[in-house]
This record gives sequence, C-alpha cells and structure tokens, in this order.
Amino acid sequence: MSELLGMPPGRVDADIGEGAVTITVDASVYPLPSVYAAAFTFIARCWVFLDRDGADRLRIVLTAKTPIDADGLRALAGEMSNELLASAWRREITRLNRGLIESVTMAAFGGAMGPPSLDELEAFDFADEPFDDPLGIAQSWEDKYKKPKPPAEGSEGGTP
Amino acid sequence: MTAPLQVLDTRGYPAFFRFRELGERVVVTSIEGEWIVLANDEFRAFVHGEVDPTSELHRRLTERNLVRTSFDARRAAEVYRRRKRFVHYGPNLLIMVVTLRCNETCVYCHASRADLDAVHTDMTIETAERTVDLILRTTSPHVTIEFQGGEPLVNFPVVQRVVEYATEKNRGLGKQLEFTMVSNLSLMDETKLAWLLANRVQICTSIDGPKGLHDKQRKLPMLSAHDAATPWIARINAAYRDAGLDTTLYHVEALLTTTKETLVRWREVVDEYVAHGCRALFLRPVDPFGFAEKTRRIVEYPREDYLAYYRRAVDYIIELNRNGVEILERYAAIFLTKILTGDDPNFLDIRSPGGAGIGQLAYNYDGIIYSSDEGRMLGAMGDPTFAIGDVRTSAYRDVVGHPTIRAMAIASNLEGQPDCVDCPYVPYCGTQPEHNHKTLGTMMGRMRESSMCAVHKGIQDYLFEKLATADAETLEILRRWTTIRPREHFLQNAGE
Amino acid sequence: MTLRFHRTVYAGTAIDAALQRFAHLANTTFERREEGDYFVVEVTSTTDARTKKIARELGNFALGLTIENGGANP
Repeated sequence: MSELLGMPPGRVDADIGEGAVTITVDASVYPLPSVYAAAFTFIARCWVFLDRDGADRLRIVLTAKTPIDADGLRALAGEMSNELLASAWRREITRLNRGLIESVTMAAFGGAMGPPSLDELEAFDFADEPFDDPLGIAQSWEDKYKKPKPPAEGSEGGTP
Repeated sequence: MTAPLQVLDTRGYPAFFRFRELGERVVVTSIEGEWIVLANDEFRAFVHGEVDPTSELHRRLTERNLVRTSFDARRAAEVYRRRKRFVHYGPNLLIMVVTLRCNETCVYCHASRADLDAVHTDMTIETAERTVDLILRTTSPHVTIEFQGGEPLVNFPVVQRVVEYATEKNRGLGKQLEFTMVSNLSLMDETKLAWLLANRVQICTSIDGPKGLHDKQRKLPMLSAHDAATPWIARINAAYRDAGLDTTLYHVEALLTTTKETLVRWREVVDEYVAHGCRALFLRPVDPFGFAEKTRRIVEYPREDYLAYYRRAVDYIIELNRNGVEILERYAAIFLTKILTGDDPNFLDIRSPGGAGIGQLAYNYDGIIYSSDEGRMLGAMGDPTFAIGDVRTSAYRDVVGHPTIRAMAIASNLEGQPDCVDCPYVPYCGTQPEHNHKTLGTMMGRMRESSMCAVHKGIQDYLFEKLATADAETLEILRRWTTIRPREHFLQNAGE
Repeated sequence: MTLRFHRTVYAGTAIDAALQRFAHLANTTFERREEGDYFVVEVTSTTDARTKKIARELGNFALGLTIENGGANP
C-alpha cells in the first residue's frame, strides 16, 4: 500500500497496481448509514467494499472499474471524503429538521396526488401491513388521546 | 452574603437568522425570508444582542421580525406558508415533446435531436391523446402545455390535435388551460401562424445574440438561422398589435443560452433582444444535458466568468431601463419577486422542494414520462433514472407519487441540504436533482461543488448588493420587475 | 478469491440473494460459510482476472441489496 499526496497516511492508502484506495473513518463521526449513502454513489464506477476496522472504525475500499493512476485515486479519495462529510452532515440536519421536511413533503404529495379515486380505493389492500406513521396522523383522536369510543348503536350500555 | 441578581436586557437579542458577508455588509434573513442588509458594525451589535432598543436599527430589525423578544411566530408561519403555497397543487407545466426531428443543429442542444427523416420520433395522435388525458388529471387548477422537440412545427398536425383535444376535454374540467410552443421559427408559414394565433398558442423562440453569434451556434443548412427566425418575431408581434393586444404584454418570448462566446458579447446580446421588441431576457447558463456534453469544451466556462458577465449585462439592462427601455432579466425578476414580495412565482427549478414531478412533467414522443425536461434529456443520453411512467399504462397518482419523485422532493428540500441550511438565501432558492445527479453523482449533490448553486448564490449576492446600495430610481426599476401581469388572452375558453 | 463481509455491515439475506443471482455464471463456484463476525464467500472461476471481477461485482450487488434492505440489521 502506498500513501497518496496530501492524504493522511493510515487513513487513506492506495494500491496503485490494483487501482484501489482504502479510506478508514471514525464510525462515531461517519455513522454506518452515512457511509452507505456515500459508498452507494460510487457503485457505478467503482467496486466498493466496506468492512469494520476494530470497534470504532469503518474501512471503505474503492477499486476503480477503469484504469486509474495515482492522481486519479487521489481525486477518488477526495471525492469520497466530500461525499462522506455531506452524507453525515445531511443525516444530522434531517434529524434536526425532520418535522419541517416531513410537513412540506406531505403537503406537496397530498397536493400533487390528490385524493384516490374509487377504483384506486377498491384496489388498495387494506390487509397489508400499516405504513409507518410516526406523527400518528392515521390514528383516530380517541386512540391518540385514549378517550373511550362511544358504544356502537344497538349495543348494551350508553344513554337510553 | 448573596450578590444581587443581574437581570439581562434581552431586548436586543436576535431571533433565528442566517447570514452571509458581502464585502463591507452582511445580508441577514429570517427563517421565513424577511431580510435586512447590515453594515459590519451593525451586524456585530445584532449578533451580540447589543442593539440599543431605542435605536433606528432596532426598529428596522423589529419590523423584519428579527428580534427575539418581539418575534411573532404566527406572522413567521403565515409568511412561510405563503411562500410554500405552491406545494398544494400538482404539475402545472406539462412538456410534450411532439418530435425529435429538427432542421437545426445547435452546439448546446439538449433536445437529442433527430434528422428530418426520423419520422419514427414523431409522437402519434394516439399517444398525444393519452398524454392529454393524463395531463388533465393534475390537481393544479392551472395547466400550461408546452410543445417542444426537436422542432414542434415538424409535427404540426399533432400540435393541432393536442390543442383541439385538450380544449374540448377541459370544457368539463374548467382548468385554466394555456398552450405554449418553443420553436426555432424557421419552418413557420402564414397558414401555421394563422392557426396558432387563432388558437391562442404562445410562441417562444431562441435568440442567441446578433446574427453572427446566433448562426455560429445554431446551424441551419444552407440558410441563416437568425434570418429565418427574426422576421417571424416581427410578424407575430405585429399580429398581436393588429389584434388589439398590448404588445408590452403580448409578444414573442425569446430564450438565450449563454455559451463561452456569449460571455464577452453581453452588450450586443442585450441590444439584439431590445431590437426585437423583447421585454425579458433570461441569461441562462449552459447546462450539462444533451449535446452540450459532447461539445462541453467549446461551450462551457467557469461560473465565475458567467457571474461577471451576468453583472455586466444586468447593469447594462438597468441602464437601459433608466433611459426608458423596458426590459427585465428573468433570473433577477424571479429572485426579486421572492425577496421583495414574499410571494413565489413558482419557477420550478428555483423553489424548495423543486418542481420535478410535482410541479412539472415531461412527456416524450414515445409516451415515456419523465420528471422534467432535464430528466428526459438524461434518458436520451442513456440514463433512465428519471423515467417514471408510460402514458399507455401509468395512472396519474402513480406518476406523481413515484418513488423517484418522492426522493427528488426530499433531495430538493433545502431545509435538509448541507450548506443550504446555513445559507441566508434558502427562503428564495432551489436546486435541481437532475442537475445534481448529472454533475455530482447524486440527486442530493454537494452544494459547495454545484455550478447551479454558484449561479444562484452569485445572482442573489448581486441583487442584495443592489438592494443595499442602489439609488431610488434603480430600486424602483427592480421593484417593477416583480410585477406579474396575467396574460389572459392565452387562456383557452377565456370569457366562457 | 475470498470475500469477507462483516455481519454488522452486510445483511446475510443480501449476500444470499446476491449469490442466487450470480449462481448461473458458467465455470464459477461460490462457497459460503460463517467465521465469527464475518460471512465468508470463496469465489473460484476460470482465470484470476475473471474471478476477481465476479467477486467484486458480487460485492457491489450485496452492498446494493444491503442498502436497499435498510442496512445489515434494519
């Protein structure tokens, strides 16, 4: 393995003969979901391999699918570094701004899609697993606030 | 012995804000898009919460909802809601690529043109009707069908059928329906023009500058593309005048694509537009789709060069306005409308979330549906990422609710985007997932490396500098550029 | 060529699905086993170059399926 100009040795190493660069990151700074997101963007032009390096680090190996020299590997490593940072930071921003992003997105799709037609309702599989509903939108008011539902018509109990 | 409790005077504390330094000044915006430009010492006092509550500066900050103790959350929410009201409606711009055949070859063409004998790239009547059926399912009360190509005049019978069919179907729906056509005008004749005028189809064309520049970039075999187009601009504008229409409002719209050659000829380009009676000039930079990729080295340029050109050109346009020539620059008008009026003109590439799929759709000649024209261009280049349906088989809700469109809506929401989230221009700005995908490898992109971000940021820097330093006359000119005058003549069924 | 997929990074189901997709390749064998924290796949084909390429493509496929799956342990 060789060092690449300007890249921290031990964190970024290259196998120029194989056309591969290895980047090792701190998993507390770059959580695995962020590494997935960054790595996936390289799948078209690289073979991408992920591994653990001890308990606290993740190793990313990018092997170029086409011939590449040291400068090319350096650029690849630099691009991956930038994408890792963007992915990690985006994850954090999304966590903090989730409410705002969700409400705008839901309004956008509610507005664009409009209500389902009768044919679409008929085709919908209500026996399917319920969708993820973190804001409890699909819950009835009674379920959400634990008030008792009024008794059904004809059943015992309730006011005569 | 206890010390007396010190009471903090929080009357000068700032509410949530974002900022950007512009030389000796700082642009500050609130979460809902209120703004102020401060001198450096004013900004320092603002940040430290040391603005004198009795001062003029405090009054200005309070007026703009930037002071914490007087922050009006309800007002902020109302302003924010108003800016985002476009999200409640579905696609309003529907592009129909009626053919890929074209008689011109343009260096930056992002239409993946085909030769005139490639009749298999004509949209059929059946595909066109199915497309219209799907288009009119939109939840938007306003629909603009835009004919593109290739050159739409090559497949004029389908253009005619679409106008006829859509107008008829819309009678039962009551949408505000308009048609526009983007044409190089070289195949126009009096018969076609009479029909287009009678059926109130708006006409847009491309003018790249004076004849030499235009013809160098837009090749028409044996002829001058400039000479083939410009007489028709005059002819159409005269027809509007003869019909009693206000030509300050009704005239041929022209589009510009800025190439490397254009950068040094900004004055000639503006003069050319003025000479043809154009009231708007859109200084669009070249994009990375289509033929432009192959000829990138010839037409492309660093965005710093583009921004220098932009500043010179718009300064000149403002100067012309001072001399009574009414012409605006479209980018500036879009951003100024958002900045000065709190409204959003719903330009689909400059909004958050972006318009791909939920504000616009592109229907290709073969019936394949794309998120946008840019998505269609990537499809023509072999990348089907943004293909989201087929008019023969897809239901409307499946198209606009497609997983790709959902991903794009999230990717183009600037409140989730690194860099944007700290940028003061976030209330006014937008990104394009297709552009990010093409240039940066992901729909999300990385704004620090994005040429589109560089353009948007640079233009807004220029505008805020003007807003902070320009004289009253210039400010009034810029304010006039935000005036939206509806063009009701082009509404189908108008008056019914 | 030996591929070692860490079980907290790659989903076992994704590796199995990838192996199923690649099973049809002529003159190529895949041997799967588990060693501690790793799913191990031995890839053997006709030449070193072919083996390497198939192994790397398998790795990409397994990674893609893992990400689609929501991770190794969604």
